Amino acid sequence: MLIDIKNLHVTVDGTEIIKGLNLSIKEGEVHAIMGPNGSGKSTLAQTLAGRADYEVTGGSITYLGQDLLAMGPDERARAGLFLSFQYPVEIPGVSNVYLLKAALNARRRAAGEAEVDAVAFMRIVKEKAALLELDQQFLSRGVNEGFSGGEKKRNEIFQMAVLEPRFAVLDETDSGLDIDALKVVAKGVNAQRDGNRSFLMITHYQRLLDYVQPDYVHVLAGGRIIKSGDKSLAVELEASGYDGLLAAANG
Amino acid sequence: MNSATSTATEHLQTLWRAQPPPATKWLLAMQREAIDRFVHVGFPTTRQESWKYTDVSKLALLLPDWLTNQVAYSPALARKPLDIQDAIHLVFVDGIFQPTLSSGDLPGGMLVGNLDQLAQSHGEVIESRLGQLSGTMDTAFAALNTAFATDCTVLILPAGTELTRPVYIEHFSGSESNSSHPRVLVELGSQSKATLIEHYSGGTATLVNSVAELRIGSGARLNYYRLQELHPEAWHTGLQYLCLHDNATVHSMTIDIGAATSRSELYARLEGSGATLEAQGLLLGNGTQHIDSRITVEHAAPHTESRTQYRAILGDKSRGVFNGRILVQQPAQKTNAALANRNLLLNRGAEINTKPELEIYADDVKCAHGSTTGQLDENALFYLLSRGIDQKAARNMLITAFASELLINIDVPAMAERTREALASFRLNGA
Repeated sequence: MLIDIKNLHVTVDGTEIIKGLNLSIKEGEVHAIMGPNGSGKSTLAQTLAGRADYEVTGGSITYLGQDLLAMGPDERARAGLFLSFQYPVEIPGVSNVYLLKAALNARRRAAGEAEVDAVAFMRIVKEKAALLELDQQFLSRGVNEGFSGGEKKRNEIFQMAVLEPRFAVLDETDSGLDIDALKVVAKGVNAQRDGNRSFLMITHYQRLLDYVQPDYVHVLAGGRIIKSGDKSLAVELEASGYDGLLAAANG
Repeated sequence: MNSATSTATEHLQTLWRAQPPPATKWLLAMQREAIDRFVHVGFPTTRQESWKYTDVSKLALLLPDWLTNQVAYSPALARKPLDIQDAIHLVFVDGIFQPTLSSGDLPGGMLVGNLDQLAQSHGEVIESRLGQLSGTMDTAFAALNTAFATDCTVLILPAGTELTRPVYIEHFSGSESNSSHPRVLVELGSQSKATLIEHYSGGTATLVNSVAELRIGSGARLNYYRLQELHPEAWHTGLQYLCLHDNATVHSMTIDIGAATSRSELYARLEGSGATLEAQGLLLGNGTQHIDSRITVEHAAPHTESRTQYRAILGDKSRGVFNGRILVQQPAQKTNAALANRNLLLNRGAEINTKPELEIYADDVKCAHGSTTGQLDENALFYLLSRGIDQKAARNMLITAFASELLINIDVPAMAERTREALASFRLNGA
């Protein structure tokens, strides 16, 4: 088992957002979580990444046999967890390459590996940038500085491609992308599917799932998973909307 | 005046009388006038608006002792010069020029050494210029500098000359107890170009009280960089006077990292039409440091432009003071002036007093000013952590980034590098 979430409760600013969520993901699996606005999707993503102001009031998360909740956000990342942000932050003054090199070396040191040398690093970076169709100029610019919404999302997937995590959480990576950008992002994600790496894709729409086929689809509503199934569940949702499903679940 | 400051003032007057007088008559007269003015004005007090946050009474208390117990050069204090490529490197130790430590041939128009001797060999050149810009300011520390400055750097660059090698003046305090009064006099002829770096380092129980007078001729360009990284027990007072003639351009960058108390003041007068000033400053405070940096930009002619950007990064229990004043005189129509101040407080104990001021007497001008103070951006910090970078490295990355936005404008890499090194060693207590 890669990650096992049991009866998770999360409170943000005094309001309980996640109310008893259960989810297990095995190595190599791709899971999608869908749900209406305010259902707790992004709260789940931020909680997995370890955001301090998201308070876990109950339940447990076991990641590769370790207590994930006892780990800081940086430790989680070094242990192979990656979050693609819904709203990536702009950090002027820190260049994309500088951040990536520091991040990659932090992971390598934690794994007891040697730091990447400059030549090898630039080779990796150029290869992955080409995959995501990112201009080389992006690399020396400040992190996400002045990027359009679509460029920010592509940059997230580019970082994921360089860092090669074991478990990637993609928080609404598809939102704000036009169809061409979506295809590029999907290509980047699919290139990372190798049978060992696991993904949790959080999305509002089925659209992304046309390009990145999930093994499982879950519907999150009111802070818990109300229905799980295979890819056909997403198609069903797209046809009938969340309302029908919520009514059925509540009825 | 309290008793500590009046004792110190008297002491300084006695010291001045006891020092061997310069042989040059006009220099002696100038020094005498300066010491009299200093005695008359006295040390500034916190009752004066421009000294409200910077208390020099402690300096007044320490100074007589430092001056009576002058200690010779201490080998324990090792110089750490900046590695600047192809520079005209001038080294002053405790205010005295050191030809053997210096390197690079002096270009035409450059004079370095004992002020009295220079005044005798090149009297006319110096007499007509020295104190011309600083003399207009009635400040105690400028007077003190004039009264006590022994050695001096003079650069009178002929018209049309482009000085490709940067002039690097290293003011090193090599004693554990003393004071020095570095003096720099620059006049760039029309259409000439130069880069000047002043670097203050070393010292323990030391006052380094500098004055620079910089006149930039028509169409000339000066890059003027200052890096102050004195010992954390030292005191620094620095005054820079800039005067820009028609279409002159100046890029100035002042970085204050060191000293227990540092007070740096730039007065820029845009006297000629079309003059442009880009002024930037970094105040980096840590421990219990007190860093006061201020700038006045006076637009005195039409079509002048200034962009002022100062930033402070303050950790521990340090205190920063920033005062930025834009003064637009009545004839200075079509002035374009912008003043921005941003401050980063790393700890609860750190503090900044900031005051941007606009004073406008012309009616057709574009002026903007603003100031923001905050802490490290929590979202940016979380983003870096989420990429596997640890707390300390992530914080340092953001702090350096905040400074880097200004540092990228310096074309002397060694100076930016030294500043980044200093930032990396910032203690982040109670973070």
